[in-house]
Amino acid sequence: MIKQEILLGNGAIALGLLESGCQMVTSYPGTPSSEILPEVVRLMKSEKLDTYVEWSTNEKVALDNAFAASITGKRAACCMKQVGLNVAADSLMSAAYIGTVGGLVIISCDDPGPHSSQTEQDTRFMARLAKVPVLDPSDPQEAREMVGLAMDISEEFRIPVILRPAIRVSHARQNISFGPIKKNNQKASFEKNPQRWAATPRFRLVLHGELNKKLKEIGKKFENLSRYNFHNLESGKIYPLGIIAGGIPYSVIRDFLAEENRTDIPVLKIGTPYPFPESLAIEFMSACERVLVIEETDTLIEYLLRDREKVMGRLSGHVPAEGELVPQVMHKLINNVLVELNLEPLQADDDHEAVQLVKDLQLPVRRPTLCPGCPERAAFFAIRKARPKAIFTSDIGCYTLGLNLGAVDTVLDMGAAITMASGFYHSFAQDSVEQPIVATIGDSTFFHSGTTGLLNAVYNDSRFILVILDNQTTAMTGMQPTPALGIRADGSEGKAIPLERIVAGCGVDFIEVVDPYDIKKTTSLLKKAVKYVEDPKGGMAVIIARHPCVIAYPDKAIPQKKKVIITDDCVECNFCLDRFECPALYHDQELGRVNINRELCVDCGVCIQVCPKGAIVEA
Amino acid sequence: METINIILSGLGGQGILFMTRVLAQAALNKGFNVMGAETHGMAQRGGSVVSHLRLGEVKNSLVRTGTAHFLLSLEENEGYRNLPFLSQGARMYVNTNSRHFPREAAKELLEKRKIIYRSIPAGTIAQELGAPRSSNLALLGYFSAFDEGPIGYKDIKTTIDTISPKRFKDINLKVFEAGYKKGKDFKGNSFD
Repeated sequence: MIKQEILLGNGAIALGLLESGCQMVTSYPGTPSSEILPEVVRLMKSEKLDTYVEWSTNEKVALDNAFAASITGKRAACCMKQVGLNVAADSLMSAAYIGTVGGLVIISCDDPGPHSSQTEQDTRFMARLAKVPVLDPSDPQEAREMVGLAMDISEEFRIPVILRPAIRVSHARQNISFGPIKKNNQKASFEKNPQRWAATPRFRLVLHGELNKKLKEIGKKFENLSRYNFHNLESGKIYPLGIIAGGIPYSVIRDFLAEENRTDIPVLKIGTPYPFPESLAIEFMSACERVLVIEETDTLIEYLLRDREKVMGRLSGHVPAEGELVPQVMHKLINNVLVELNLEPLQADDDHEAVQLVKDLQLPVRRPTLCPGCPERAAFFAIRKARPKAIFTSDIGCYTLGLNLGAVDTVLDMGAAITMASGFYHSFAQDSVEQPIVATIGDSTFFHSGTTGLLNAVYNDSRFILVILDNQTTAMTGMQPTPALGIRADGSEGKAIPLERIVAGCGVDFIEVVDPYDIKKTTSLLKKAVKYVEDPKGGMAVIIARHPCVIAYPDKAIPQKKKVIITDDCVECNFCLDRFECPALYHDQELGRVNINRELCVDCGVCIQVCPKGAIVEA
Repeated sequence: METINIILSGLGGQGILFMTRVLAQAALNKGFNVMGAETHGMAQRGGSVVSHLRLGEVKNSLVRTGTAHFLLSLEENEGYRNLPFLSQGARMYVNTNSRHFPREAAKELLEKRKIIYRSIPAGTIAQELGAPRSSNLALLGYFSAFDEGPIGYKDIKTTIDTISPKRFKDINLKVFEAGYKKGKDFKGNSFD
């Protein structure tokens, strides 16, 4: 029976994976990719499939696992965000040479904006670097179909294939029809062939040659893949302007032109930017006097067009070189080009007055903040109190928002709280300066990339305090379990691995666990840790600040609700607002003191410990 | 049929994703093609959150500025922030307790652009019913009372009934009804 559901783009991708007979899906969560694996789990359960799923400890682990499944002849996929592909890059580059047996699809979601990432990097360039094909879907339905295409190409040419959905594909919602999904019964088998699977440099050269040959063949296939690469030229006609676009920009342009029945501007849609369907592009360009290239996020298509004389795009300054190409931005840039070429513009934009009004209204900037009741807020407060002059290295997760509390000074990449703290320590120690350093890292980030840095810190005698903010979930990306919980991606039981054991295994002798809701105890423990790291006979100190996330475990996080009120002892010093920064606390002009927003307050009662005047009390 | 563009705004944690899901599902049940865009990740942590919902034959999920027909905002300032999305003659529904809605500076533009604006203390209504985090449902009820969109009171109510998690179903419907009633009363007084 065919049914229809409104699926998230990531749900449509999950559906595509199962429809393509994918037998293993691995992932590490990261916006905008996080929902793919949970959607696979939901759909495989409702379709009674036995797909193997796992939250891997990081993206490289995810890709290695899926790669192994592929060389047993099974179809496999791994899902991650674009910066996660950096972590998996080592695996990707090599896997491209070695090649696959069963289909292997790497789904790497880009984040133009960026909305929730360190960079706006373009996965398509990673595909070019690794020399693997990349598909660029323009909406959820197409992403679903492209998963199947990616699997087929991967299997036919024995090469990993990347699917690159941008955030507006992954986090779009669209009604999608689907029927029952057939189970893939492919059995695992491994044919020994060390020259391929364990190739030495001499054979790598041979494999590189094979890879180049595969790309040529795939390129030919893409030239004729008219479902995803097509244009709407009328034969014999010459156009003053044509547009080449792929991914989300194609969808936006297609809607603009359809709304206004603009048949005078032909469009070449590129769904497979690499290997690039060059002949198709040359055919299109020869019918256009000028060509505007609009792609996200970088300039792959522009670079791959060898004759750029007619081309307008990022390289010529016609398309913004950073930021998301939202419809109003694209509308404006297309109109600028149309005006420049003396062509009829699209219907005028209507937002100038309103944009000016919003500026004039000086609306409060809503920066993201830690949630009311968040245990990390309490931990950061204690850290700043105990070690006010420290350099605070931190990491990727909700707790990056500790910067609002002045308790986060650096964020580089996953795990860098620890490695940068080491680097800081040795830089100052070299000058005989005792610089206090406190590193903070989340539990999931620690599992992802913390251990190698911690081993290194212990081995090389770095001295700093590491606080592992253990809220027992991967909160920022939507509450995925961590290895410490013993719950696996499909909900089944796994072996729980306590953080304490890993930290001890890294050679750390000072390990303490504390509930950060108890600010006094946390502060005194931090002071004890200070002594230990400063003692010549001491070493690295690790404090595990353990309290469940208020969103993931609302009942467990606040077992005893404390209704808090603010008394007239409040002297409007705003210490609580600046240093504790709970969204439920605000300055009330009328009352002339701080007040509590009951809509936001979760009754955790932690702020009682914060007020220097004792004006925050339990009712 | 012309595409209908809807913007839903507010702050992270106010239930914008659920409100979007309700409207999208209700529209699908009525036979619309649905395309929407959501905010996930870092921005959900208390920051400004916007959902886009487009009903019709479209490929792209984002509404362009100047083309939205409806704006439902769970917070007043976030409502103003998203004014550039509204088209001439659009309708705007805002959760606020302010007696001075809309702010004087905004009023002129709204009237010039013939944007019909309405406000409801959705947060207070939800709180009085013991569900302080359900202002999204009160706003939906209020919106449905005016029956100006393609999806009406019954469509939305049925959808809430179907997609609410079991333990929230009763309270969700109760808050929705309270918002609806507020809209009906308002209509009786000021519009007909």
